[in-house]
Amino acid sequence: MSDTELAIETHGLTKRFGARTALDGIDLRVSRGAAFGFLGPNGAGKTTIIRTLLGLTHASAGTMRVLGHAVPGERAQALQRVGAIVEEPRFHMHLTGRENLRIVSAVRGPQTRARIESALTRVGLSERADHKVKSYSMGMRQRLGVARCLLADPLLLILDEPTNGLDPAGIQEFREMIRAMVEQEGRTVFISSHLLDEVEKTCDAAAIVDRGKIVTQGAIADLASGGGARHELILGVEDPERALELLRASEVVAEARPDDEGIRVVLAGEPRSAAQLNAELVRAGVGVTRLEPVRHSLEQRFLEVTSRLDADLVPAEVKA
Amino acid sequence: MNATIAVQMVGADFLKLRKKRGTLIWALVLTLAPLLVYFIVKGVQHSSSPAEHSPAGGIEGFKDAMPVLALFFGPLAAIMIGTDGGAGDLAAGVFRDLVVTGRARLALFASRVPAALGLCWLVVLAGYALMLIGIYALASGTPTPGAALALNGLLFTLFSTGIVCVVAVGLSSLIGSRPAALTVLIGWQLVASRILENIESLGSSRKLILSQAVAHFSPISLGQHHGPRGGETVTMSTATAVIVSVAWVVVFCALGAWRTRTMDA
Repeated sequence: MSDTELAIETHGLTKRFGARTALDGIDLRVSRGAAFGFLGPNGAGKTTIIRTLLGLTHASAGTMRVLGHAVPGERAQALQRVGAIVEEPRFHMHLTGRENLRIVSAVRGPQTRARIESALTRVGLSERADHKVKSYSMGMRQRLGVARCLLADPLLLILDEPTNGLDPAGIQEFREMIRAMVEQEGRTVFISSHLLDEVEKTCDAAAIVDRGKIVTQGAIADLASGGGARHELILGVEDPERALELLRASEVVAEARPDDEGIRVVLAGEPRSAAQLNAELVRAGVGVTRLEPVRHSLEQRFLEVTSRLDADLVPAEVKA
Repeated sequence: MNATIAVQMVGADFLKLRKKRGTLIWALVLTLAPLLVYFIVKGVQHSSSPAEHSPAGGIEGFKDAMPVLALFFGPLAAIMIGTDGGAGDLAAGVFRDLVVTGRARLALFASRVPAALGLCWLVVLAGYALMLIGIYALASGTPTPGAALALNGLLFTLFSTGIVCVVAVGLSSLIGSRPAALTVLIGWQLVASRILENIESLGSSRKLILSQAVAHFSPISLGQHHGPRGGETVTMSTATAVIVSVAWVVVFCALGAWRTRTMDA
């Protein structure tokens, strides 16, 4: 993938606050035209990487490129088509929504002024645009934050915990808006979140970060399955012992073990080999009552990798 | 950055300030109320006993009222507006949202200064207009200031309040907190500099006090013991007064700009 196809690219990005290392050699690659989730527990370094990418704080080491421009060297060009909400969206409370957008528009340049109305319409705030922001609900402020981002006609949107404080309806609405921006408008959306479900439902790809390090990154489905080639089935059979024998001998099975729900089978090849497996069992006279692909959740994977990190951090003598 | 963007940014900063009702109302109260009180009290005194009390207006009234506006309450209003202009974005938490536009931080700082000055001078102009109305309306046949003196008084008032306003923008940008900057500057203007200018042993080093340098340009004589806000007047050359005034502005603007450029947003 060439540099221009990447919306964000970092190499060895490190940020230290005194003795504490908040980001530890982050290598991140975010493709254009997709929703990318930056997932991690609180304090993992999600906001720090966003602040560093946006030039709100300086990196201690490493290199970054945003929309193909080196940061901080070409920061102004890089951020020209970037919209960002860092932590919660903040505004001048004594001004109206429209006035707040006018202020950012003045800073971004005259070409953005014409986008104020369309941005307000896009987020559904046209009718409340002339009310003071202090009268807005949290959800309305989030939407005004997105409208502020849209003034840049952004190729890249960076949203830090965007659904914080939103009610379920607001979260759903926000998710739909993000998907529309990606699918219909071709924008790249980078979302940091500690909400696994949120990232799984909104994003195409994600990176899991913990203690300032990227633990894993890739497409959501690949991350959940732990690398992309892992296809699992739950089998219900009439004769489990005989079935296990057959399964372990089968060339399409990598692993088979009894499970609370039946027999858990890890396929050696494509998911379609499940049909072949079914045929083999039936030919051998073992009735199959259930054959269900296992859907891996990102949550499982997240807990797996973060608990592995926890285990790695336990001193050797404690393990012994 | 071109001139159009610069003008728009100043306009945006001006909008933030003028819409802040609390700051604007208090600045107007500080500017207008003392003058109103002065004219009312003096007017009542003069009408009740014309032989004992001179008229509230006229040239004598001008000499009394102008220092009140130019050297005391006008600068207080300037401090209120300037500190809001310097730290308003930080206080609202929107500074980082302006930084992520990619616009140079120095440009963000630079636009605060003319915006604060603009509002400060509008408020001071209202005060000066009220003062002139009182001076001419309540002259009771005594001589009134000529056009030249009235104009010089206006320029002096704009200068004395403008310089304090710019210092306030710089200091609050440096500290990043409006309440702290407000406290420091009001403490300095009302207490510290007044004490310092009365300590004779400090000698010519008192020329470094901003209000002393500013008072040098007053179009009316403040008298040896009627210096700014009743303190002692320290004599200095015009060149020294210019250098001290410019130094205050340059130092605080540089510090404010440096902090705006380097701080974590």
